[in-house]
Amino acid sequence: MKGIINAKNLNLWYGETQALKNINIEIPEKSITALIGPSGCGKSTFLKILNRMNDLIPIVKIKGDIYYNGKDIFEKSIDVNSLRRDIGMVFQKPNPFPMSIYDNIAYGPRIHGIKGKQRLDEIVENSLKDAAIWDEVKDRLKKNALGLSGGQQQRLCIARALAVKPKVILMDEPTSALDPISTSKIEELSLKLKDKYTIIIVTHNMQQAVRISDNTAFFLLGELIEFGKTEEIFSNPLDKRTENYITGRFG
Amino acid sequence: MRSRFDEQLSILNKKLIVMGALCEEIIGISSDALLNGNSDKLENVKIIGSEIDRMEEEIEGICLKLLLLEHPVASDLRQISAALKMITDMERIGDQAEDIAEIIGFLNGRTGEECKEIRKMAETAIKMVNDSVDAYVNTDLELARSVYSFDDIVDDCFLKTKNKLIDMIAENKTDGEYPLDLLMIAKYIERIGDHAVNIAEWVEYSLTGVHKDNNKD
Ligand SMILES: Nc1ncnc2c1ncn2[C@@H]1O[C@H](COP(=O)(O)OP(=O)(O)O)[C@@H](O)[C@H]1O
Ligand SMILES: [Mg+2]
Repeated sequence: MKGIINAKNLNLWYGETQALKNINIEIPEKSITALIGPSGCGKSTFLKILNRMNDLIPIVKIKGDIYYNGKDIFEKSIDVNSLRRDIGMVFQKPNPFPMSIYDNIAYGPRIHGIKGKQRLDEIVENSLKDAAIWDEVKDRLKKNALGLSGGQQQRLCIARALAVKPKVILMDEPTSALDPISTSKIEELSLKLKDKYTIIIVTHNMQQAVRISDNTAFFLLGELIEFGKTEEIFSNPLDKRTENYITGRFG
Repeated sequence: MRSRFDEQLSILNKKLIVMGALCEEIIGISSDALLNGNSDKLENVKIIGSEIDRMEEEIEGICLKLLLLEHPVASDLRQISAALKMITDMERIGDQAEDIAEIIGFLNGRTGEECKEIRKMAETAIKMVNDSVDAYVNTDLELARSVYSFDDIVDDCFLKTKNKLIDMIAENKTDGEYPLDLLMIAKYIERIGDHAVNIAEWVEYSLTGVHKDNNKD
């Protein structure tokens, strides 16, 4: 499988603190990559840098390269908005906008210049269907999205990310605030989406990584310790530190 | 956080050691009767055999419970799945030792030159079982790997025994039953050697994550 995102000797500092240390990783496209590791090891930092959500923070300093589809994302010619359209993000806490379900989904396409009711209706319906929430909301598209349950809100956020036709979806602990049933819906959805999209998911739930991901990356103190097939990582990790973390022998 | 889990793993370990010791004991008794005519303990074979069966069930229960409750990964997962596989081989070893003990009853103490290879086979198979169980107990990778090479000796002895018995029959030196009984015994011993190899392979897998058979291309 071809790599869609490729980090080369990537380093990132917040002021004096180095949050990412010489990361080298090639993320295969149309698959699910899980990022695991203890809190503060740099998972979210790594996720956010992929669509350039943290390089504008004044204290942040970056060294090294990230290539998306072979293009250097830090290059001057790169349009950050179009990068973010290609690489969408879903956060830990569902964050629907305080507007109708319909407008939540139509928001992104509208910003990107899509007009016309019929065209937008189509995008809204398809996105909600792809996010496996259409049946639950199709009769109340004009109702406020904040009235949905937590699990529904998270699928709505996934639909919102899908509405701008991204290639990559970044998910930062998307189920940690959800109940088991909503969690399994998101997991099933992710497995379905990987036919069309590349998914990178941060999770603290080892079983979730095992259930849904194809590859797993283990981060520790800003370093990428091990990256490989999920099955290999969880049955026979090469690095003792990975072993200690996933078996709960850590610290 | 792991302490309860570690405790359960160490219980599992102890049970496996006991089951391994029972396997060593049961083939020890059977071969002592076969090779030295020492049949005093032969009646214990059935009791030990059922104890082995019972332990298989018990250990299987522990393993399944750990898989269900602890979602083990990495070396924990390998140790538990290796244990699950090993007990099947141990249980077979117990059965085959029982089968041998039963046939010994039919021999009525009759043994001869044709048993020379069977003696060597039995001694080798016992060593293989002892070593594979010890390798597990002491997490000794080298010892586990050393077991594989003995399988050739056992196989070779089996062939020689078979040929000798064929000659005996051809030369009309025997009744029909005796060589068949011996051949069955030889076959059971040969199988015990195979099971010891399996155990050693699971020990290797548990320690390294690589299973010998899955590694052939
Ligand atoms: N905006 C920020 N300013 C300063 N330090 C930060 C900022 N964001 C994260 N960090 C630090 O960077 C390190 C990595 O954090 P983060 O990427 O959030 O880890 P994780 O997602 O693995 O828990 C931590 O030491 C954290 O304190
Ligand atoms: Mg984080």
